Amino acid sequence: MTTPDASGHDLLLIAGLLAALLRATAPILFAALAGVVSERAGVINIALEGLMLVAAFFGVIGSAWAPQLMPGWPAWSHALAGAALGLSAATALALLLGLCHLQFGADLIVAGIGINLLAAGATVFLMVLWTGDKGSTAHLASLALPTLHIPGLQAWPLLDVLANGDDRRGHPLLVLAALAAAPLLHWVLLHTRFGLRLRAAGEHAEAARATGISVVRVRYAALALSGLLAGLGGLYLSMGYLTLFQADMTGGRGFIALAAVFLGARQPLGVLAAALLFGACAVAATQLGLMNLPPQAVQMLPALATLATMVLFSLRQQYRQRRTMAASFERWQIGLTDDEATESASTSTSTSASASASATRQAPPSSS
Amino acid sequence: MSVAPASSPGTRTGGAIGLALLVAFVLLCIVSTEPVNALRQLLTGALPMPHWSAETGWVWQRLARFTGVLNNAVTLTLLGLAMLFGLRARQFSMGADGQMMLAALAALATGVWLPPLGGFSWLLAAVVAMATGFAWGLLPGWLKTRFDANEIVTTLMLNIVALQLFRWIIVQGFNDPAAGFLATPALQPLALAPNIPGTQLSCLLLLLVLAPLAAQALLAKTTLGFEIRVAGDSLPFARQAGLPVARTVILSMALGGLFAGLAGLQLSHGLLGRLPADLPAGLGFQGLVVALLAGNEPKRVPIAAFGYALLEGGAQAMERNSDVPRELVKVIQALVVLLVACERLPLRELRTWASSKLPAALQHRLGTGRGSASPRASAREAS
Repeated sequence: MTTPDASGHDLLLIAGLLAALLRATAPILFAALAGVVSERAGVINIALEGLMLVAAFFGVIGSAWAPQLMPGWPAWSHALAGAALGLSAATALALLLGLCHLQFGADLIVAGIGINLLAAGATVFLMVLWTGDKGSTAHLASLALPTLHIPGLQAWPLLDVLANGDDRRGHPLLVLAALAAAPLLHWVLLHTRFGLRLRAAGEHAEAARATGISVVRVRYAALALSGLLAGLGGLYLSMGYLTLFQADMTGGRGFIALAAVFLGARQPLGVLAAALLFGACAVAATQLGLMNLPPQAVQMLPALATLATMVLFSLRQQYRQRRTMAASFERWQIGLTDDEATESASTSTSTSASASASATRQAPPSSS
Repeated sequence: MSVAPASSPGTRTGGAIGLALLVAFVLLCIVSTEPVNALRQLLTGALPMPHWSAETGWVWQRLARFTGVLNNAVTLTLLGLAMLFGLRARQFSMGADGQMMLAALAALATGVWLPPLGGFSWLLAAVVAMATGFAWGLLPGWLKTRFDANEIVTTLMLNIVALQLFRWIIVQGFNDPAAGFLATPALQPLALAPNIPGTQLSCLLLLLVLAPLAAQALLAKTTLGFEIRVAGDSLPFARQAGLPVARTVILSMALGGLFAGLAGLQLSHGLLGRLPADLPAGLGFQGLVVALLAGNEPKRVPIAAFGYALLEGGAQAMERNSDVPRELVKVIQALVVLLVACERLPLRELRTWASSKLPAALQHRLGTGRGSASPRASAREAS
């Protein structure tokens, strides 16, 4: 009887770790998706960190003040009011970044860092003014956003932990929303008109402009959406993960999210995988002290993984380019007579290889 | 991606600072019961004050606080120069943070493990610090030129690696159990940088002048400096002219690392004497602010750094002597950064916009500086 019991306990532990993984992943995932939206529109968003901070702060303040402003309303509406305040603050700040860059020609990186400084300073400044406390809003009665609890699972502990988290009170809705946001964003980017325009503005602004797309407007929209998503990540930190705001509580997650954008090859689903990896690193850093690995080494892993991926990605690109050039050279040597044979040879490398090869093929006759 | 100074960077920056201070004063009027006192503390609180008394005659008060400001100004100058080299080659290398931390640790280890060498071991530590910063700065350049990796991302990642490495080394062994908190062993007094003869000031203070001069000479008088400037002005042109672009890009970042390494030396041998494991990250970004305020001119960097340090010192005085928290200064800094960065925010455009969009009556009121004039426009006119 002991063996199944022990393995059942192990399974419970693993299921609990899974819940911890999701909790650690959610804020990074939201911020990384925010990064994808703006990056794909051609405006790299360095200010993710600041956007998260502002949303976290105003979410707490809003939910703490809502009971006085809306007495008699149910508690969940107060939490939602706080969330709305936080999200609008983050969106407004993202639009301010857009205004500086798109309207007044500010360099995006410098302005992004300016926004980060503004968020870090203004949140603490306002916290001291409004609560008199410099470290955190611990004595402010702020609320948590609702969780999704599936009742009636007490009889099956494993299922209960999987569906409701290791404290069995249900996963926060924001965690589930983060997991749903990745495929949703994938669909928006690839299958809607807005997504098409956004990608066009990012890949080739001139071409997009020539087809009549207002690149500036698309980029404003992308930044606003980016602020909204990063704001959700910040809200999760202060109204889900914890129910208070701490000075600098994002702790570099915005920059980690930026890494996830590049690690995930700027694709929402790739970013989902990258965020899960980084979340796993965060869980490992706190929970796997027993493996004799120093936590600092584990916390280094996301950065090292990103660097390694960037190098590998570039090596693959270079390899592909060489293959393409070799293929087109071969093609040029053979001439245009036996098209069929080379066509089948080059499709084995990639479609883009054959496309650019056929483009270069036309060059020799025209120059001679 | 243009960070190069506009036609008149000095007046632009001055206007931005003036505007930010105006906003700060408005904020003070809203939140404080004594806005004038708070503003006075903010602007002059860190300056030494001459004080008259019958027994001693004129003496300078608050000199210790001013020394702190000067020390911070040195760190900020070096960090500003570290950022400046990358920016002049139009590389957004944000790695000064990590370079500085590792260099500080290396310099401190040199100072702790080496015999004092008659009080000259700090020179060796300086070489080690510069070499460490240089080496850590080479990495993003190499990644950029060899693997086409975006230097913003790689330097931010390398910062995380450096920070964790720094903590790892201190937590895992290189610490002093007697310190009472997690920190490296302290440097012996003989291993520290000596004082300027006749004063209580560390001779690292001279870097406030020497480092910008060296940077200026490097940029203006050497082949490498020329290559950096050309590559920054136009990369295609530099490539076309046959300049070694890859080497220039790498070296511009590595030279930045060298100055960040000196900032590390200032931390270990000048300011602290021992390094705590929880040394705050993010100083490198302040270097970017300083470089930006200086319009990427090495000669202006110490002025910008001094102003920045003065404001930080003044903010502490303001927090102590009035009812305003010192984080206000961060808001001011952020506003200055944003306003300086907004290159297309001149008064002229606001005027043309006003004359084309607003009716003449309103424009008249705008001209007199009352009524619906936005604070931005009126401040522009004031500056």
